[in-house]
Amino acid sequence: MKFSYYPGCTLHGSASEYDISTRAVCRALGIELVEIEDWNCCGALEGSSNKALSTALSARNIVIASKTSLQLVMPCSICSHNLARADVSIREDSRLRQSVEQALGTSYTGVRMKHLLDVMVNEFGLENLKGRVTRPLTGIKAAPYYGCLLVRPSKICRFDNPKNPVTMDNLIRALGADSPQFRHKVKCCGGSLLMGKEDIAHNLSLNILSEAKAAGADCLVAACPMCHTMLDGQQGMIEKHHDVKLDMPVVYFTQLIGIALGLGEKELGLDRNMVSASRLLDSICKKQQDEKMQEKREKQDTGNTDGDMGHPGGHAGGMGK
Amino acid sequence: MIKTEELDPNFKYEIASMPGGERIKYCFNCTGCTVSCPVNEIDREFNPRKILRQSLLGMRKEVLSSELIWLCSSCYACYEHCPQDVRITEIMGALRTIAEKEAHRGNIAVPCDKRKFDSAFTGSIKKHGRVYEAMTIAGFIFRTKGIGGMLAYTPMGLAMLRKGKLPLLPHGIKGKKQVKAIFEMMHR
Ligand code: SF4
Ligand code: SF4
Repeated sequence: MKFSYYPGCTLHGSASEYDISTRAVCRALGIELVEIEDWNCCGALEGSSNKALSTALSARNIVIASKTSLQLVMPCSICSHNLARADVSIREDSRLRQSVEQALGTSYTGVRMKHLLDVMVNEFGLENLKGRVTRPLTGIKAAPYYGCLLVRPSKICRFDNPKNPVTMDNLIRALGADSPQFRHKVKCCGGSLLMGKEDIAHNLSLNILSEAKAAGADCLVAACPMCHTMLDGQQGMIEKHHDVKLDMPVVYFTQLIGIALGLGEKELGLDRNMVSASRLLDSICKKQQDEKMQEKREKQDTGNTDGDMGHPGGHAGGMGK
Repeated sequence: MIKTEELDPNFKYEIASMPGGERIKYCFNCTGCTVSCPVNEIDREFNPRKILRQSLLGMRKEVLSSELIWLCSSCYACYEHCPQDVRITEIMGALRTIAEKEAHRGNIAVPCDKRKFDSAFTGSIKKHGRVYEAMTIAGFIFRTKGIGGMLAYTPMGLAMLRKGKLPLLPHGIKGKKQVKAIFEMMHR
């Protein structure tokens, strides 16, 4: 499998762990990523007010990607929303198409494009992925957080149900973890208001974090750098401003896949998350050990004395570093 | 009190002529958008149905100079719920584009930090082709929150630096000229 890859600005900066874990997991699964040349910022949500500007900025990247015959994959939900929105708008609005082509100085050619989560679940496939799991996340509760732009508006991103998506729930289960009932899975984190209206943004994210805690989650799973900035990066500030203790690890879905594939903490950029993921990693190890002990005990109870032999190479040594 | 002689009956056509504003006249005022809006849940002042109603009535200056149109988080919840497919999120964007233009011309004042951040952000793209996170964010915090704000964010900034999440130098792309041309064409 081979794709063109558009990381977007944050994956080269504040969300570097998303880039690191995306590349590591794709390498491990035999998915080749070719970063497109000289890409520019898609305008993010700060540029999206001006639809003409946002469309032209995104279109430049699409035209670059269209020079290869590969499908384009994007891990950032904002980038993937912006590029898909631009593509639909250009096809629907001939006036917009004309001004975009004029601004770019070239004619517009589209390309097939997908969010990385879509590729993992629907192209690589969960059955395939299950077969590659070496460290099942048994006993871990991981709350899937989709946020907004991954699933809305459904006119643009059609890969899952906009009100009750299940793609990430299924992924979590395929890795051996539990995905608890999580009511806030498509509720807004307020990310785009962080810089101008911090209080509203913090309130929105606090709701999501508290709901995850109430659901008994060991971690939240994200698929967007802005959601991750709010839930992980801002968690300390939210705790301070609202005088609460949250201590909720937030991992990218690529990091979660990587853990289950047996990749190391550094390889997945887990040391770059702001809320330490070590409690999560420890409990994954502990749950695995508990399970082995349990199996051993059961075998002994049934009088089978060679219970150990069936389980070579345990992971009792902790996570690879 | 609304003074009818101050209303601008052309405002709805102006919005409908903007990319994204096309469907404003389909709104039948049902409140579906407001009920689904997460920002409204936190701050009742922000009411998308009311903003649409005011726009349709022609309350141009009130709508454009209000901070409220900058409080939309672009979450598309209303867009998904609207029975008339008004595409409110896109209309909010069209309103901000018109407000930006009017503020630029000195016709209205918009006292709003979110607007300042958006223009710092797009300014950074215009200059480098990609956004230069460290400078955009630090500059914004300094301008809007002063030294106190900078100090409050310093521990987080340092932690991010240590973790290699905050490159100190901008990454300029080769196609900077093309990006600048896009801004000149589209950012009017
Ligand atoms: S949901 Fe649609 S029709 Fe109803 S008030 Fe909002 S924009 Fe108007
Ligand atoms: S897109 Fe804006 S107006 Fe619509 S629900 Fe979200 S925050 Fe509210």
